[in-house]
Amino acid sequence: MNSAISVRHLTKDFRIGIRGLKLRAVDDLSLEIPRGQVYGLLGPNGCGKSTTLKVVLGLVSATAGEISILGEPSATSAARRRTGFLPEAPYFHKFLTGRELVRYCAQLSGVAASDLDAAVEDALGLAAMKEAAGRPIGTYSKGMLQRIGFAQAVVHDPELIILDEPTAGVDPVGSASIGRMIHAMRDKGKTVVLCSHLLGQVEQVCDRVAIMDRGKLVLEGAVEDVLSRRDRHVMTIEAMTPAARTAAEAALEAHGAKITSVTHPRRSLEDLFRELVTGSRDA
Amino acid sequence: MKDSLRRTLWISRVTFLEAVRQRFFAFLLVLSAAMVLSSVSLRVFDFGHGELKFIADFGFGGMFFFGSVLAVVMTAQLFFSEIDNKTALTLLAKPLSRPEFLLGKFFGAWAVLGVFVLVLASLQGVVLWAREQELIAAAEQAGRIPTTFSIVGLCQLVLLQWLRLGVVIAIVLAISSLARTFLFTVVVGSLAVVAGQLQWIAQDAFLRPTDSPAYAAFLWISTRLIPNLQQFNLADALVLGSSAVEEGALIAVCLSGLAYLVAYLTLGSLIFRQREI
Repeated sequence: MNSAISVRHLTKDFRIGIRGLKLRAVDDLSLEIPRGQVYGLLGPNGCGKSTTLKVVLGLVSATAGEISILGEPSATSAARRRTGFLPEAPYFHKFLTGRELVRYCAQLSGVAASDLDAAVEDALGLAAMKEAAGRPIGTYSKGMLQRIGFAQAVVHDPELIILDEPTAGVDPVGSASIGRMIHAMRDKGKTVVLCSHLLGQVEQVCDRVAIMDRGKLVLEGAVEDVLSRRDRHVMTIEAMTPAARTAAEAALEAHGAKITSVTHPRRSLEDLFRELVTGSRDA
Repeated sequence: MKDSLRRTLWISRVTFLEAVRQRFFAFLLVLSAAMVLSSVSLRVFDFGHGELKFIADFGFGGMFFFGSVLAVVMTAQLFFSEIDNKTALTLLAKPLSRPEFLLGKFFGAWAVLGVFVLVLASLQGVVLWAREQELIAAAEQAGRIPTTFSIVGLCQLVLLQWLRLGVVIAIVLAISSLARTFLFTVVVGSLAVVAGQLQWIAQDAFLRPTDSPAYAAFLWISTRLIPNLQQFNLADALVLGSSAVEEGALIAVCLSGLAYLVAYLTLGSLIFRQREI
């Protein structure tokens, strides 16, 4: 069994109102999420991403279909023992300190008492939260909440980590920090499922993506495959003069090729922001 | 089993910490304590009963009333804060079963009510003891037999009140598992407490012959579905020794309370397992 998550013909209907009108949130979805990769689940609001994740985690029941996590039926606690989850806009008990929260989650996840201290400190270190770990969660910024949420999700060293909108409401510096944590998880051989509609970040960190719309899967594949246009090429040229351009066009035309556009390369606003805003690591 | 108990314990611990930090808990504790203490000053309104009885009635009345309010509102609040703030999502995505979550909430809330009852009963004991000493001295001078109270009875009553509040918490958790809103839970939970206080009326009616099978069935269901919360109110008999309480009767009350507690927790767990978070 090579799939971290296997979803077969998942359908989820919600009953709404007194008359029990049926709202189909997920419609006959089938997905195989391979192990050891960062997998992006994309789609507009209300497309069924979060519902799919909740069904996968056994938080809501499926109307139809089968789901397994790491070879185990998804609703079992054995499957959840090997899974870490960061919900969208996480909210934790404000009176606990960051360290107490991570410890509490480690205990609930079955980390042995002898490994507890080391596991908590490792997770806090990975999330860059050691300095603020002694503060009550009520004093944390949004970015810190996401990072402490990440720490509680990985404290029991799960094989599969599910992140629901981990960068929602977080500034680009914090967002980049979360991106680094995701890469660190992949380097450890973990499977990361990332649910987001921040396409730029997904493109940067994911190996494969699935795009959902109105509860259905509309596209699935490796990021490189789904984004690249094999019939087009981009060259970046330094010190090009008009004469050099004319010569290049002539040379390409001689081989049946044609330049369709010439633009100046741009850096992204996010890159510029991160370059300018340094040292403010969301503290 | 050991892991399951441990997880339940961790949920209870955090629930307890969350509850004792609530201003509502502190407010009701202070209010109830003030009521117990003020009973000494208000004893002139004893309506012809013994002073100790008035003090006990006043104090235990406060413990009963505010304890019930606390059990209903705090339990509902502790449950819905987890659901509405979505902390339940984080917890239930871990290898934590829903019955463990619900039991953790129950034991956390019950522990808080234990503190509430213990503090008030201790205060009540001190107030009763101080007044008892004065009454003993006055009775010796007048050559009368003094009125006294029983410390053992007070301890038994504390346990009974704690058990009664445990039954209320279990009922509220069962309602919470089904309900969608905090307000609905508080309203229905409060009605359940009132129904429990009046259950003896249905019991009396059930024992009388009736021609209507539907009425008899209604009474039969009511008397079994709703616990008789009045049976825990043995303050006069236990603390003031107004009448003897057989040990068997006390055990029967405890077993009945435990049976309802387990039944409502089981019902709550079954409903909560189906709930979509």
